[in-house]
Amino acid sequence: MQASLLRWAENGVSTLILAAMVALPLAEAAGRALFGAGIPGAGPIVLHLTLWITFLGAALAAREGKLLALATGELLPAGRGRALARVVAGTVGAAACALLLRAAIDLVVVEQSAGTEVAIGLPVWVAQLAMPLGFALIALRLLWRAADRWPGRAVAAAGLAAGLVLGQFPHWADGAAAWPGLVVLVAAAAVGGPIFTVLGGAAVWLFLCEGVPAAAVPAETYRLTVSPTLPAIPLFTLAGFLLAEGEASQRLLRVFRALFGWIPGGTAVVAALVCAFFTVFTGGSGVTILALGALLFQALTADRYGERFSLGLLTASGSLGLLFPPALPLILYGIVAQVAIRDLFIGGLGPGLLLVALLAAWGVREGVRGRSRRWPFSGREALAALGAGKWELLLPLVVLVAIFSGFATLVEAAAVTALYAFVAQCLVHRDLSVRRDLPRVVTECATLIGGVLIILAVAMGLTSYMVDAQVPARLLEAVQVYIDSPLVFLLCLNLFLLVVGCLMDIFSAIVVVVPLIVPLGAAFGVDPIHLGIIFVANLELGYLTPPVGLNLFLAAYRFERPLLEVWRAALPMLAILGLGVLLITYWPALTLGLLEWVGRQ
Amino acid sequence: KLATLVPDGSVWDQVLKEMGAEWQRVTGGRVELRVYPGGVAGDEPDVVRKMRIGQLHAASLSVTGLSEIDPAFGVFAIPLFFDSYEELFFVVERLEPLLARRLEEKGFVLLQWGHGGWVHIFSRRPVRRLDDLKRQKIFVWAGDDRAVQTWRDNGFHPVALAATDILTGLQTGMIDALPSTPLIALSLQWFRQTPYMHELGLAPLVGATVATKRAWDRLEPADREAMLTAARAAEKRFEKEIPAQDRRAVEAMTERGLEVVTSDVPAEWREAAETFAQYVRGGDLPQDVYRQALAARDLYRSRQAEAAAP
Ligand code: NA
Ligand code: NA
Repeated sequence: MQASLLRWAENGVSTLILAAMVALPLAEAAGRALFGAGIPGAGPIVLHLTLWITFLGAALAAREGKLLALATGELLPAGRGRALARVVAGTVGAAACALLLRAAIDLVVVEQSAGTEVAIGLPVWVAQLAMPLGFALIALRLLWRAADRWPGRAVAAAGLAAGLVLGQFPHWADGAAAWPGLVVLVAAAAVGGPIFTVLGGAAVWLFLCEGVPAAAVPAETYRLTVSPTLPAIPLFTLAGFLLAEGEASQRLLRVFRALFGWIPGGTAVVAALVCAFFTVFTGGSGVTILALGALLFQALTADRYGERFSLGLLTASGSLGLLFPPALPLILYGIVAQVAIRDLFIGGLGPGLLLVALLAAWGVREGVRGRSRRWPFSGREALAALGAGKWELLLPLVVLVAIFSGFATLVEAAAVTALYAFVAQCLVHRDLSVRRDLPRVVTECATLIGGVLIILAVAMGLTSYMVDAQVPARLLEAVQVYIDSPLVFLLCLNLFLLVVGCLMDIFSAIVVVVPLIVPLGAAFGVDPIHLGIIFVANLELGYLTPPVGLNLFLAAYRFERPLLEVWRAALPMLAILGLGVLLITYWPALTLGLLEWVGRQ
Repeated sequence: KLATLVPDGSVWDQVLKEMGAEWQRVTGGRVELRVYPGGVAGDEPDVVRKMRIGQLHAASLSVTGLSEIDPAFGVFAIPLFFDSYEELFFVVERLEPLLARRLEEKGFVLLQWGHGGWVHIFSRRPVRRLDDLKRQKIFVWAGDDRAVQTWRDNGFHPVALAATDILTGLQTGMIDALPSTPLIALSLQWFRQTPYMHELGLAPLVGATVATKRAWDRLEPADREAMLTAARAAEKRFEKEIPAQDRRAVEAMTERGLEVVTSDVPAEWREAAETFAQYVRGGDLPQDVYRQALAARDLYRSRQAEAAAP
């Protein structure tokens, strides 16, 4: 009874927060345009709602067992070994989460005594309560999920208690060697522990070993989650989710097929285009494969494309589109590296088109060789398809006009996009019932957002540790000793990012690695926008790199194929996209040409 | 550990790093200063938060960050309150004991003053009358909601943006004008979109280096004394170099197309400034601090008048 009440409250509050995050920026923009006055405090309040949706969403993800984890845990044989791994992951996770909880409480107490304000009389410390609340819920849920029976849960409870005790007596760790703790955390991650507990636990542990207060980690978490452009990420994700849950994919498939189905390999080209279209909004979170995989796989095999080819194409297409506006990795890169997001959007167009063209060309080759089915062009069908899909097709236009016209900020543009997707899917097409489907879809979306943002939020603490220890400056010195040509630097960067890309998800990689790379890029004279595009394109490749690329696991899961088969199917795509990334890296004009032409900032 | 927003390699950064080397020398290596420049430790409110939790030990802050600690520092942001650097330095000297005491009550120690130049309005189209400015969209820091309301109430078109969105905002036309010092407008290239600088210096960009009392009290009294002397020597360098740097920045921008605009009706600017001064005073600014600042300024002006009189 109580559990279901909590469940109901969590779902309801997170839905309300997302709704307010759409409504407030829109009301602000409308008020500004119509009356020359916005809503008092709307800006700062939306930023703090992002903090709340991060932690509530993460608590939802913990409830559903959907906190993002490395897929390597899946490689363990079922049975005793896996049960043991679950207890280990749960125990370490609960301990790390307890440390984060204690650190968040310390921060809230300091903030309360400082007496700072969000806006209109709301104290900052009240807004910050989201952090201890979220960490506490997650810690308890990790404990609960550590095992099906009480002995395993008791072990996890001991881990939780240990974390709280260390949080109470932080000087015990002062001066201790950091590596044993890090080894434990990494081991827990390898057997399937949630990624955020590893990154957050490592950040707290490293600070404690240096004698720095653990509140340094939640202070960074707070700083990232209330940064001015961050609300764009949950809002665009919401738009993508609404599209994916409705029947937008069928309508888009019909449009692209009517337009491009006649060329040889047309269906493969169409599949790549539909995937790119969706990934732009859903970000690199794997939603594309989960939402569209089945539909497109069926379309491809029905048109006589080989199973292995279809599998590889869809696995690769799941991260296509990350370079087109308003792709979320570009937004996050702009926030972290402090470069103009608009310039990244413009710079990404050429490279993004190149990657789509390369995959499409491979599809054409396959279509010609396999004599796949072609769809004769019909003007009438094209018009009918365009008519049916016009709402979805207008979406990119809405986004671009909102961003580039100067009428709206990126966050307001994202709110417009979410509202537009809602109107199109729920009111015009009625694919989703407002009463039956919408609450479920929005809750699922909040779960996904929380799962991703919580990782970023604590990864920021790890970044802060590296800045604190002056790692970027030392790395720069070390690299300059060994490398003096920009070309060698870029090649090393490609290889390094490939490794990073297959070990980390694209968002936390941006938060942790960008601060290390940006000074290096500047020292070797790489243009900051070009560096950003190289970075994202390279990480996109990492999604496909065996053994741990995220898309490989998602595809294996969605298409119910053995992992080894997915690896083999993805290899040719990896080679093609790798060629694309090399072109993007060593041919700067592809990125910078358009930017120079329209005038950069 | 000292954090600051000033860019890596800038005059301010260099002076701070030299001061750090001096601290290490005079304390016989007992103090070693790590400077985190360019905002790597976050925006000023973040830096103040990190000092409060004990992660950072000191910071060089502008009025924005200092007001986070004590709203009394808002006194330096009152538009057209000061006419010259000499007047500013005089008032700073008189106010120092009071401000230092107030900081100490809040757990911070004042080590030195810093100066960032004088703030002017930079705009896309020339501003000769106040109405010219009201027709342009002006940048206001996101988060300062009261400031936004005040601009609006006085017929302006403020647009609240994050500092990192300023360039994008200028490029896409979301904002047409912004307040900035010449040196910052030059180094961040804002002046390319806003080629008109109003001649009127609105307010000085005052800064200060503060340490947390917790960290400061751990040091030997003799070390503290020696470090303060070094900090004051660095302060003298700011006082000497920044006004000259600002002049050179204006020259450099003028060579690249900047036009300095004079106002047609200076009186209306005075009136508008008075409105905004009331806004600053109506906020959290303690009245005794304001009265003392006003008294010090008027004392300076009357002395100048006496000296000028035959
Ligand atoms: Na940091
Ligand atoms: Na990955």
